[in-house]
Amino acid sequence: MREETTTIYLGPQHPGITGNMMVKLQVKGDTVVKAETHVGYLHRGFEKLMERRNWLQSFTIVCRICVPEPDPNEENYSRAVEEIEGREVPERAKYIRVMVLELARIASYLLWYGGQNGSAGLYTMGQWSVGDRNYILDLFEELTGGRVYHMYIWPGGVRRDLPEGFADKVLKTMDYLEKRLDEYDKLMFENSIFQQRAQGVGIIDPAKAVEWGVVGPPLRGCGIQSDVRKDDPYEVYDKLDFEVPKIEGKSDVWARALVRRFEIRESIKIIRQVIEKMPAGEVYNKVPNPMKWIVPKGDAFVKTESARGEFAYYMVSDGSDKPRRVHVKGPAYVHGVSLLENLLVGENIADVSFIMNSLGTCPPEIER
Amino acid sequence: MNNINLEKEQQLAETLSLDFTRLEARVVRSKRVEAVLSSNDIIPSVLLFAKDKLGYIHFSHMSCVDWLEEGEFEVVYILWNPEEKINLLIKVRTKRENPTLPNIDYIWRQANTYEREIREMFGIEFPGLVAAKEFILEDWQDIPPMRRDFETKEYVDEHYFHRPGREDAKDVREEIANRSGEEIPEFAKKFSRK
Repeated sequence: MREETTTIYLGPQHPGITGNMMVKLQVKGDTVVKAETHVGYLHRGFEKLMERRNWLQSFTIVCRICVPEPDPNEENYSRAVEEIEGREVPERAKYIRVMVLELARIASYLLWYGGQNGSAGLYTMGQWSVGDRNYILDLFEELTGGRVYHMYIWPGGVRRDLPEGFADKVLKTMDYLEKRLDEYDKLMFENSIFQQRAQGVGIIDPAKAVEWGVVGPPLRGCGIQSDVRKDDPYEVYDKLDFEVPKIEGKSDVWARALVRRFEIRESIKIIRQVIEKMPAGEVYNKVPNPMKWIVPKGDAFVKTESARGEFAYYMVSDGSDKPRRVHVKGPAYVHGVSLLENLLVGENIADVSFIMNSLGTCPPEIER
Repeated sequence: MNNINLEKEQQLAETLSLDFTRLEARVVRSKRVEAVLSSNDIIPSVLLFAKDKLGYIHFSHMSCVDWLEEGEFEVVYILWNPEEKINLLIKVRTKRENPTLPNIDYIWRQANTYEREIREMFGIEFPGLVAAKEFILEDWQDIPPMRRDFETKEYVDEHYFHRPGREDAKDVREEIANRSGEEIPEFAKKFSRK
């Protein structure tokens, strides 16, 4: 008897998909035999838009590339311009940038808690963590005026100094979150349903992971201690004390969850250090009149460790008032296409969105 | 910043320059080394050499820049060495007429995604590319849209229509000025709706 395969289109409108993209699955019974990623539902042409806008106008649209964590985009854009221009950033601004990036990382991980558990049918966790994420968005609102998109880290420093009493509010929120994380553990990591769903699913071959372009939590889940903050330190990360998790296990969804569980606590540690060590002084090295701002000829390749992995920008200036090319590479560009297509083969169809969430697949980064 | 040790970077640049005659390498800054190739045929051999002999096993990024005025595309391959912790940027140039570059998706499978996108957005062909089909764009008939000579405004005017109902749109500032009897200052008049 000939065994038939069925084609299933997961997305672009599907509760299990992590955004506006589609995975075309060939299934035999419950098992995936072939997966193909289709993108193009969310192409907004950011890179083309940036060619027609001046340096400051381009800056205002980069944060829109990624909804769950826009700050690494601002950071990358600013740092690339600063590198081409040779612009110095005040020390205090560097500390504030690290604080914002770590707050964004925590917010992103809290959203991931919801997504990862939601795709396993455990909805309570998401209600808790997304609720707690709001406290961080409140902080962002007070600091920058925006809850999701901040446009705060900009070329030359940050947009303004911390409001009065802001550091205390951050510390209080961190104390609260730290207590909550223990409760999350009870609900998620001690939950036998989650354990059974996550262990042994979506295994990445650790020997091949670096070569396949895996970055961020999925790579650290393979037991490889790779982190841009340590390997290619930017801002003041080399002056801060934090650890990169060493996970021993099967490099499955469970291992990737453990990485995030560890890192959210490290981020709290970093924020406390930053607030303690932050020097006084200026926060902005003023750029010239933005309408006449010329950036000298040159190129720069910069990387930031986002919550989903290495976020890179390749920027080229031709010495005019507009960028020649800004190429955005998010971690999902590899995780969501070549890695996902290979990882899904042989998995159960019920685990597809579970694995996608563990990789942090985010279509806006794939097509920009 | 001047006392940073660039020994590893300089060593890499020297190794590359010695092994390939059509290659010029230089240290950009700490953790960044740039190699410019003067021939496209040696791309796969340089990349394989970097991957197998020098430990640049991680393919970080691949990008393309359109230098319309010079009639060339510049393609950059960015590799990462997890041991030495250095990014190696390998740059090549190709003519804008019938641009073709060697395919490298057998060296790193994720390079396939980058090449598919560059093929679609810039029109550079990679002979032998696996799954050489549309990636982001669907049924695209025009010139590749990331080329500098692609006119976005013209394309929009041709393919879409402007939303009706804006023909009698008024200038808000002028309306307010008229109502209150104030006058808009001379220097600000250039911002008024024509």
